[in-house]
Amino acid sequence: MNADQPLFVRVYEYMADHSDELIGLIGDHLAMVFCGLALALVVGIPLGILCLRSEKLAAVILGAANVIQVLPSLALLALLMLALGLGFNTMVVGLFLYSLLPIIRNTYVGLKQLDRNLVEAGRGVGMSPIQLLVKVQLPLALPFIMAGLRVAAVIAIGVATLAPLIGGEGLGRVIYSGLNMRNDVKIYAGAIPAAVLAILADAILGWLQGRFKKGSHAAEA
Amino acid sequence: MQKKKLKFGVGLVGLVALLPLALTACGGSKGDTLTIGAQTYSEPKILAEMYKALIEDKTDMKVKIKPDLAASKVVIDAMKKGDIQMATLYSGEIYNGYFDIPDTKDRAEVLKVAQEGFDKNYGFKWYDSYGFENTYAFAVRKDVADQYQLKTVSDLKDHAKDLKLGVDTTWLERDNDGYKAFQQAYGISFGETFPMEISLVYKAAGDKKVDAVLAYTTDPGIKQYNLVTLEDDKHFFPPYDASPVIRKDMLEKHPELNDIISELIGKIDAKTMGELNYQVDVEQRSPDEVAVEYLKQNGLLD
Repeated sequence: MNADQPLFVRVYEYMADHSDELIGLIGDHLAMVFCGLALALVVGIPLGILCLRSEKLAAVILGAANVIQVLPSLALLALLMLALGLGFNTMVVGLFLYSLLPIIRNTYVGLKQLDRNLVEAGRGVGMSPIQLLVKVQLPLALPFIMAGLRVAAVIAIGVATLAPLIGGEGLGRVIYSGLNMRNDVKIYAGAIPAAVLAILADAILGWLQGRFKKGSHAAEA
Repeated sequence: MQKKKLKFGVGLVGLVALLPLALTACGGSKGDTLTIGAQTYSEPKILAEMYKALIEDKTDMKVKIKPDLAASKVVIDAMKKGDIQMATLYSGEIYNGYFDIPDTKDRAEVLKVAQEGFDKNYGFKWYDSYGFENTYAFAVRKDVADQYQLKTVSDLKDHAKDLKLGVDTTWLERDNDGYKAFQQAYGISFGETFPMEISLVYKAAGDKKVDAVLAYTTDPGIKQYNLVTLEDDKHFFPPYDASPVIRKDMLEKHPELNDIISELIGKIDAKTMGELNYQVDVEQRSPDEVAVEYLKQNGLLD
């Protein structure tokens, strides 16, 4: 590697030379993020629905999710590591916890802002509470839930770069290796793909969100 | 709407279906594999690579290295859980509250306390030192040292309030040998402190972002950025002798490891370790290359 070349050329060359390794790390990175987000959806949406039941319950659930969110990420991961050990599982649970708040909150807000008349209409045609939830409320709240997922995904892709610190894989490997070796090229080679992943995730989920929104307006009309 | 709901459902099921797949992917076998953990800086990585080369040369075992673990605490917790079985640790680690310790800063005694304490409470075998210690030392930029005539830490007394200090993130909060205890022992407080990742402090001094740093004594950053280390004239910092540490159950299962681990005991002095670190941090060579070259030069590996 020629040290005289401009930084972006060296970063490009490094990325080209190590493309196999980087692609593997991107795979590891995305696997953690997917699992963390999936868990957060599975747990967060029901909790958001639960929040709708009473203001008090909402305060408790959202409060708890808030507390998790303000814990410094490395501290949270180090604590989780005590229970779950090094590596993938700890990271997935950490990402899950960090993704909870935006998903719970947006599910709750999405359900709460619904036109009461729609819900009444649903009841009027004899829908059970479950039917109402699945056929009317959740579909209409979907754009909000997607917006929450979008926020959660961007956060998770960022937090996942901490994985090497607790024995996980992912793009953080290159970043921390570069940080330690005082090698800026390596830091960029890890940070740029992570940033691109975050931007892509935001764009793709944003596009999906737009489609859902159109859909739900059609349903409302 | 029907179609949309279906899509959403399929997406959700897809995500959930991925989960067990990914979870199983990570559970590796532990049979004849030894996993060595290493902290974020180069020194333990180089030493881990040495053992990897030696053990894979002399036994049928596979050695994996988990680098960049956040802190010694994480390394020890992971070792206790068995996710890793071996690491390089420093005798001063005992001040971090793993068990009750006598009030001492004597080099030999601290090592003994570490060996006995981690044996009894954690089931680790803590070997004698490689032959070097990597403790904390204050280092200042050459121009600052010249300007204020600084040789010892006590010399900082009248000037520290005008100086900016770069330190690793853990030091400010440590009890026994942290900033609070330091302020009491020396009666010195710095004007401003900037906690950061340890690898960044040297460059921060080089770039004149800070005037003084709390350095690791074997770190090549001291040499690279032309920093002057100050003598710890009140012997505030405890000894940090570096030793290999391994889980005893691993040693029982593979007694042949004992001889291999012992090969590096007392072999590496601070100057040598500093040079090996320099090759990785400054010359940008990879830790495994540097480790194998050292072993070959010293007749430890063919």
